[in-house]
Amino acid sequence: MAFNFNWSPLTADAEFYKRARDLLTTALNKSPKPPIIVDDIIVTEFNLGSVPPDLEILEIGDLAEDRFRGIFKMCYSGDAFLTLKTRVQANPLNTYLSAKPGFTSPQPLAAASSLTIPLQITLSEIKLSAFIILVFSKQKGLTIVFRNDPLESLKVSSTFDSIQFVRDYLQRTIEGKLRDLMMDELPAIIHRLSLQLWCPDQMAKEDEEPKEADEPGVNPLATPPLDAVDAHGHLLDPAAISELTLDGGPEAQLLFSQKTLRRLSDLTRSQVTSSLDTAAPRDVLFRAWAGQSDKADATNSPPLSTPNLARSSSYTSAHTYTFSDSVSQDHGSLPSRPSLVHLNSATAGLSLGSGRHNKAGRKKKTRVVNLRRKAGTEVSSEQGDETSETASIGVPMSEPVMPHPILEVPEEEPVSGKVRFSRSPDLGEQTRRASIMAERPKTPEAQMPAVGISDSATAPQPPIQLSEKPRSREVAKESGPVDSKADWRRSRPVSDTSSVILEQAWIMKMAGEIARRVYDEKTRNPTFWDDQDDTPPPAYEAR
Amino acid sequence: MREFMHYITNAFYSATGWNEDNTYKELNATARELIDFPLPRGLRLTLSSLATPHFATSYQLGTVGIVDGSISYLHSTVPLTGVAAQSDRIPLAALLRSYRRLHDLGSRDRQWYWGAEEAPAETASTLSTDEIPDQHGSSLLYGRLYLPQSLLEGMVVRRLSPALQVQLSAVSERSLRNGGTLLGLVQYDRGKYGVEGLASTDGGLLGVRGLYNFGGDTSSSAVTSPSSSSNSESNGSGQLGERERIYGRFSAGGELYYGTLNKSGGMSLGARFATLPSHRGTPLTATLTINPLMGNINATYAVLARDYCSLATRMEFNVYSYESEWAVGMELWSNRRPAGFLLGADPNRQSEPDPGPPRRKERSFQAKLEWRLDDTDPESEAPRTEEKPAAAGTGEEYRGVLKARLDQNLRIGLLWEGRAKSLIFSLGTGVDLRKLGEPFRSLGLEIQYSS
Repeated sequence: MAFNFNWSPLTADAEFYKRARDLLTTALNKSPKPPIIVDDIIVTEFNLGSVPPDLEILEIGDLAEDRFRGIFKMCYSGDAFLTLKTRVQANPLNTYLSAKPGFTSPQPLAAASSLTIPLQITLSEIKLSAFIILVFSKQKGLTIVFRNDPLESLKVSSTFDSIQFVRDYLQRTIEGKLRDLMMDELPAIIHRLSLQLWCPDQMAKEDEEPKEADEPGVNPLATPPLDAVDAHGHLLDPAAISELTLDGGPEAQLLFSQKTLRRLSDLTRSQVTSSLDTAAPRDVLFRAWAGQSDKADATNSPPLSTPNLARSSSYTSAHTYTFSDSVSQDHGSLPSRPSLVHLNSATAGLSLGSGRHNKAGRKKKTRVVNLRRKAGTEVSSEQGDETSETASIGVPMSEPVMPHPILEVPEEEPVSGKVRFSRSPDLGEQTRRASIMAERPKTPEAQMPAVGISDSATAPQPPIQLSEKPRSREVAKESGPVDSKADWRRSRPVSDTSSVILEQAWIMKMAGEIARRVYDEKTRNPTFWDDQDDTPPPAYEAR
Repeated sequence: MREFMHYITNAFYSATGWNEDNTYKELNATARELIDFPLPRGLRLTLSSLATPHFATSYQLGTVGIVDGSISYLHSTVPLTGVAAQSDRIPLAALLRSYRRLHDLGSRDRQWYWGAEEAPAETASTLSTDEIPDQHGSSLLYGRLYLPQSLLEGMVVRRLSPALQVQLSAVSERSLRNGGTLLGLVQYDRGKYGVEGLASTDGGLLGVRGLYNFGGDTSSSAVTSPSSSSNSESNGSGQLGERERIYGRFSAGGELYYGTLNKSGGMSLGARFATLPSHRGTPLTATLTINPLMGNINATYAVLARDYCSLATRMEFNVYSYESEWAVGMELWSNRRPAGFLLGADPNRQSEPDPGPPRRKERSFQAKLEWRLDDTDPESEAPRTEEKPAAAGTGEEYRGVLKARLDQNLRIGLLWEGRAKSLIFSLGTGVDLRKLGEPFRSLGLEIQYSS
């Protein structure tokens, strides 16, 4: 693996410096200034220099085509410089009076008259040494966090260099200010800059992603999209989605435009009523999925937590629609197994994936903390991520395939629960996981779409999945024991606060376990697969 | 508009015979008030009352987006019996007039705070110092609480001797360092010179300022007489030839501050020339202040062009930074009823002089210029009553004033103040000519009622 850091293209772009200067200027003038500064602080010169910083990769936490997370050690002692210009009040009595109540002011006649002096400050010979946590995702842009105080030393030269006292004061003040700037403002600036850079992507997403919100009545932030796809039409990791939706704030809100949501609700309503007039949004695929799947949902929904109940109830009442532009493309290219891919995501996301969303959202909070701990914990949490992916492999398969035998699930559930509790849960899970993985090659035609889901984030082409499978299996195997531990550890800080959350987590785990069992059953007698594959639900393309 | 409490405080000063203008702080007060008059912001209502001669209250309610208010109380050991506190009787000049005429040094003229009816002949006769009761030991207590901010202001003024006065003011607020500040002021006024010493708890600031008067009346023998107006009038007629020339008083002073805690200081020097009330020509005031440390030179020139019109200019220049500033201010008095069109009253009919006693209240132009009452010599009574209708017709009794200012940033401040019925109002706006898209920077209306 190799990274290519380009330092010079940044400087080659003529617009870059102008933008950076503007951003710095606005950042410096944002906070209320002390009374001694009487004018705006203007960044007149800014140069990153020609010497790039030394970057040492300490750790890569998360690596995918559209996201990246890692920890670097950066050392910089280059020739970058920054020149600021402002005006300062030179009369101490004037600044003294400005902050005092007028009633007790001594009201000097002319002793407080102002004398403003233009001040130019040049910061150069900046020496930095920092641990940087860099998080990049296509949706959220680039986020940089300094783990320590990055500033080692810098040289401040100003108009008042000849006066020792003033120079020392400025040096002290500016070092303090710059520390604040580096720790607080710079991440924000870089984030904004990166959003500008990836702005077109954001715009495109804004058009596409709302269609994945398949429940219009519910706040999309409370219930993240079940099967979000990225720009290439491949499914996104639920963790990534939850990152996107649960803490995105206003950005994420933008993803779900009111117009789209209203259109979707219109669509749903038109199906519920007997109206002949059906709204026809463009690039939308209808799937009617009546009958057993609804029942399956109904049986599955009770153990789910309350936020999911709302969703499942809407499912029982109506049909299942999946609005996906990209799937229709897949449909064309892979006619042999289009529906499976699709249905997996739809229904699995419904019953279990949603629980994972929640968990992932919680995980997200602690992940920052994990980054700040030792590297070992970081690795384990990463494996946790991986396992959640593999879990989602196993889980989705069961759901779409089980319309008929789904009635067996409740009967099986107590059995599996007992087994689980009589043995050590870690071991049980490990063996089960292993068994899942081991059995996979036996049914390659059934496996393929599932693995496609898990790999879609990294590999754009579903056909590659076969070659990638061993890798993912290995990962899953070795992460098997760590997985549950990591899972529990991660959920502990939350569960300490309330047992309800723990219960929820347990229920979700249980649900995942049940689904895995069901999947095992399916893989043991693969005739079910054949049945299902033959009868994909009818698809309607809205025109 | 001066606030009611400020007005009462001034009344206290004049009742105790303290010349508050004889201090370096007030050196360029005329130009400052003509140019830097405060513009009201938002809506502000003030209800005030001089409940007893010793006690005054004022309640203020204002809104600039958020509603705030203040409650203030004032207690004076000197009875302010004659003070016209009712808002329909307060002389507008006392509240609104910006151009400050020089007081005669050592004079104890307090009459212009007296309501016209309350200024009978015997009041005028009390003008001389010897008839004023010995006021040392008199004191004034003032407190004000701003409500949402929980800001408390307090002031104590105590007269120790006829020439010595101590003033202690304090502010208490949570956001301030140490929870508040205290300013002590010792004022010593000998007429010919006035010296002040001050100390503030904020930064340990210590200050000294002084003013010395010379020329004009101080050099002549006139200083010996604590002049009643008639005295100076006769004096003036004696020096008629001299008074044809510019006749005024020079004052020079300086101030020095040092913050003991923050080791910083400041100083300035200043000089003023102002015509005396007895000057027959156009009254004018010119000041020059210099801050040698900061290289700041400030010159002002104010003139009372007509009785109804005052003008002022100010120029500032800094020899170190070459920054300069200018500002002009204007004050136009009007005898038109300011809210006449609102009240449906015909201004002409309103200005019709009432027969009888009220006519006697009218003061002559000269007396108004001097901010004093007319001499109530009986022989002049008859001709003056004959003049009255004409005087009233030309608008002796002013009902409103328009103030305007303009500075080098092309910012205009407009203020229209006057009396409507028994309400004194002040309507002001700030206009920025540089930003014509949204020129109005602020808009405010202040209404004051007192009883």
